[in-house]
Amino acid sequence: MSEYLQTVFEKFELRVHKEYHYTEDGLWAKIEASRVRVGVSDYLQRTGGDVAFVELVKPGSTVQKQTEIGTLETAKTTVSLLSPISGTVEGVNGMLSEKPELVNSDPYAEGWLIILTPHSLEDDLKSLMSADDYFQLMLKKLETEHEKLEST
Amino acid sequence: MVDLPQKMVGIISCSGEACVEGTISRIATLLVLEKLRPAQTVTICLPLFLAGGKEERAFARFFPTITVDGCQKLCAKIGTERYSGKPASSIVVTDLNGNKNCSTTGSKRKLDDQAIGLAEKVAERIVQEVDEVLNHWK
Amino acid sequence: MNSTTQKKVIVIPCSGIGKALGTVGREATYEVVESMRKDVTQTICLALLVSGDEESVQLVQRNKCITVDGCPLQCAEKNVRIAGGDLAASLRVVDALRENRGLKPKSVAFLDRDGQQLTRAVAEQIASKVDAILGA
Repeated sequence: MSEYLQTVFEKFELRVHKEYHYTEDGLWAKIEASRVRVGVSDYLQRTGGDVAFVELVKPGSTVQKQTEIGTLETAKTTVSLLSPISGTVEGVNGMLSEKPELVNSDPYAEGWLIILTPHSLEDDLKSLMSADDYFQLMLKKLETEHEKLEST
Repeated sequence: MVDLPQKMVGIISCSGEACVEGTISRIATLLVLEKLRPAQTVTICLPLFLAGGKEERAFARFFPTITVDGCQKLCAKIGTERYSGKPASSIVVTDLNGNKNCSTTGSKRKLDDQAIGLAEKVAERIVQEVDEVLNHWK
Repeated sequence: MNSTTQKKVIVIPCSGIGKALGTVGREATYEVVESMRKDVTQTICLALLVSGDEESVQLVQRNKCITVDGCPLQCAEKNVRIAGGDLAASLRVVDALRENRGLKPKSVAFLDRDGQQLTRAVAEQIASKVDAILGA
């Protein structure tokens, strides 16, 4: 059984990891014992484009839910990354300074962004989406994009 | 796996570095992808497809394709036939130009008015083929 | 494509359709082979090489090659290696983008001003590599 929900749009396979929690913007949170790992969804990296730079908050910083933890600068645009939960930054993915393309090639594993010690996880989780709900949201977004293209 | 209902056509253009008609092929394809039929077409990167690119091969296996070649070497058409089956349609720029030989005069990069006119003509032809394929699909 | 007895540096861009950086790589290649280093460089079609065209394969095996890739998949570099090409340098357009921060080439078919600026930067890099290869 796959650990992902998947769909194909145009020629691209878009996946949503079943065990993660998601914001509407496309950031995911993975609970790992007492810490939470954060990254971006397949849909976000695909629509953002090839990542050239990743800027992230420093370890030791305190972040609030929905405040900026960094940016992805791609060939097309700059994407602001808003934290899914409140917490203290314990670590950032040091590989991304030399290999920002990991965000594109492996967004759910090697392309992770930061690790947090959460401040109020139970409360914050209530406002995050399950994988199923985020998957449905993604399908709606894809349909809307397709309709926009059809009307041009 | 959930797939969105889509009727899409894959356009496979040659790389075209060797001659002006290759650039014309590419520009015509991009005109169709970006302006004329953006919701109905997808590009397949030919070298990636030939080298075994997973997404490229999967798309070409299940969706109709139109190949656009600049010259009689027919890299796009031959490659598509080899790895995913006969394309729904094949267009060769030199055929539309009435000239079988690959032109080596003129910049391959900065198309002159005549070349741009030919690119637009090729784009119109691609659009006709796309519409034909999609009509048959109904 | 011309066969020649004089050794040249072969500059091979990826196909790059669908991405602005692919068009940048291709345009930069043309800038070099048609203008900046036109007497000592030439280009070939990557698809022709990948499909096993004998003339293309021999050309990359007998001459120094520089590949120019528009995305991290690096089709040009990988396929020149597979063909047994003498790969002297491989450039990624995204690295030039990192050195020219703020440029955001938008259009794929016809490059906008940012795209043209990035093209010039990449062309300079290719030309430097050509000089280094021929000077060695």
